[in-house]
Amino acid sequence: MELIVYGIVNSVILIMMSVGFALVYGVSRVPNFAHGALFILSGYLTWIFLNRFGLPYILAILLALILITIIGALLYRLIIIRVRGMPVSEIIASFGVGLAILEYLRWSGLRGMTYMLPPFIPGSTNIFGVVIDYQRILIVIGGLGLLAFLWFFTTYTKTGLALKAIAQNERAALALGIDADMAATVAVALGALFAGIAGVFILPKGNIVVEMGYEVLIFAIAVSVCGGLGSWKGAIYASFLIGFAQILTVKYIASHYHFVVALLVIIAVLITRPSGLFGKQKELEERV
Amino acid sequence: MSLNNNLMLEAKDLLVFYENALAINNVSIKCRKGEITGIFGANSAGKSTLMSTLSGLILDLKIKEERKGGERITWFGDIKYEGHNIINIKPSERARMGIVLCPERRQVFPESSTLENLKIGAYLATREQAKKTLEYVLNLFPELKKLLHREAGFLSGGEQQMLAIGRALMAQPKMLLLDEPLLGLAPAVEARLAQAVKEINEQTGITVVLSEQYARPVFPIIDYGYVLENGSIVLEGSAGELMNNPDVLAAYFGM
Repeated sequence: MELIVYGIVNSVILIMMSVGFALVYGVSRVPNFAHGALFILSGYLTWIFLNRFGLPYILAILLALILITIIGALLYRLIIIRVRGMPVSEIIASFGVGLAILEYLRWSGLRGMTYMLPPFIPGSTNIFGVVIDYQRILIVIGGLGLLAFLWFFTTYTKTGLALKAIAQNERAALALGIDADMAATVAVALGALFAGIAGVFILPKGNIVVEMGYEVLIFAIAVSVCGGLGSWKGAIYASFLIGFAQILTVKYIASHYHFVVALLVIIAVLITRPSGLFGKQKELEERV
Repeated sequence: MSLNNNLMLEAKDLLVFYENALAINNVSIKCRKGEITGIFGANSAGKSTLMSTLSGLILDLKIKEERKGGERITWFGDIKYEGHNIINIKPSERARMGIVLCPERRQVFPESSTLENLKIGAYLATREQAKKTLEYVLNLFPELKKLLHREAGFLSGGEQQMLAIGRALMAQPKMLLLDEPLLGLAPAVEARLAQAVKEINEQTGITVVLSEQYARPVFPIIDYGYVLENGSIVLEGSAGELMNNPDVLAAYFGM
């Protein structure tokens, strides 16, 4: 029972960490390697608003999320747009930004026990005989809410449909009046928002530490590669696969191997099925 | 004079270079409001380049090539559309002005359903317009009704072409550019689609420019035609004039 409950929690955590990354790549083919840095930055901003400015917790979170979304949009508009269409340069540029953010935070003193966000609701409860804190339950609810929003956004809103169109066939989308740069800006901003939400939900489980930024990025890549790059639905299945694999590793092998699992999954998938579980089949694109 | 007022689009002295190769050589065309203009030519005669110059996709191509350090694309000349010179206007902006391209090889969104393809097409339309146009498209192509929830990638070539035309109509065009709409289709489907284009033109008044390699199936529906060869216009005229030219008949009409 414990395995199932914590397996689900862990899987949803992975979904939250990776869905933003998968979404941005899926829509605009921008590999946003600053993803982990945005995750940490949102937690750090929340902490600043909460402790330096003494704002109420909810307001601090909202402000941090708004800021992180703007930072995401600027990241595309100011930096990535210049190397658009060259994947290696996009990786280097976005990773550079991520490095700069994380190492600046480290340099300015982000380490140790000082930086800690309180849980939204303190305390814990009992589900099917398993003790679980409220924060983890909220993470599951928040993660599912995020997915519901994403589904609604890409099915019913014009902007969401436009993002889908650009992801599938850019030239056809341009001819219909959709602006590719607008779509990519929205995608990267949205991805940043998702990274931010994940940070705000997940960071109260522990300290805000710089290393976690890199960890989140690696998890996001592992999940996206496993699920098939560009498919956020694949990312959900992959999150459950890796999530449970990690919990089993922690239970039966040793807890510090859970990180290795993610990396092993990347290698295993790339060897056996390079396009991932839900990788796209090229044949479908064109039928004559 | 009245003829001039009727002009929807006029391209003047267009030159397009891919690096040093001349793809479009001094091409001037006129498209009159409410008419169907045909552009004919063999493969690599410059039809697609002309279409992307008219739709503006060539600007996007140029930026992409520049970013990856590929071919240098340059162009000269004017395109007047409803009184504006649009030669340097982005494709998305041109779509907003009413020029909508239905690209070569259909280019439907393969993972979206038929209905979703049409909804995406309505990006520039209001809710009212989208509803009305959807109804119109489904009346025009009743075949699509049964396929609304099927992934577009699984449709047959003819169905995909109907979807691509329908999707372009959803964008509320004033001028519809059809790049080789009959490419690779069975003769029966060709005739059906050509008829549909005529119907669209007659019922909605949308001006149409279409390019084709073989003129025969679209010949009955065009008002005026141009024949491209190696990037230059070698012949132009009304449908009747083209019809009476023996060279054209042999080379482009397959007669």
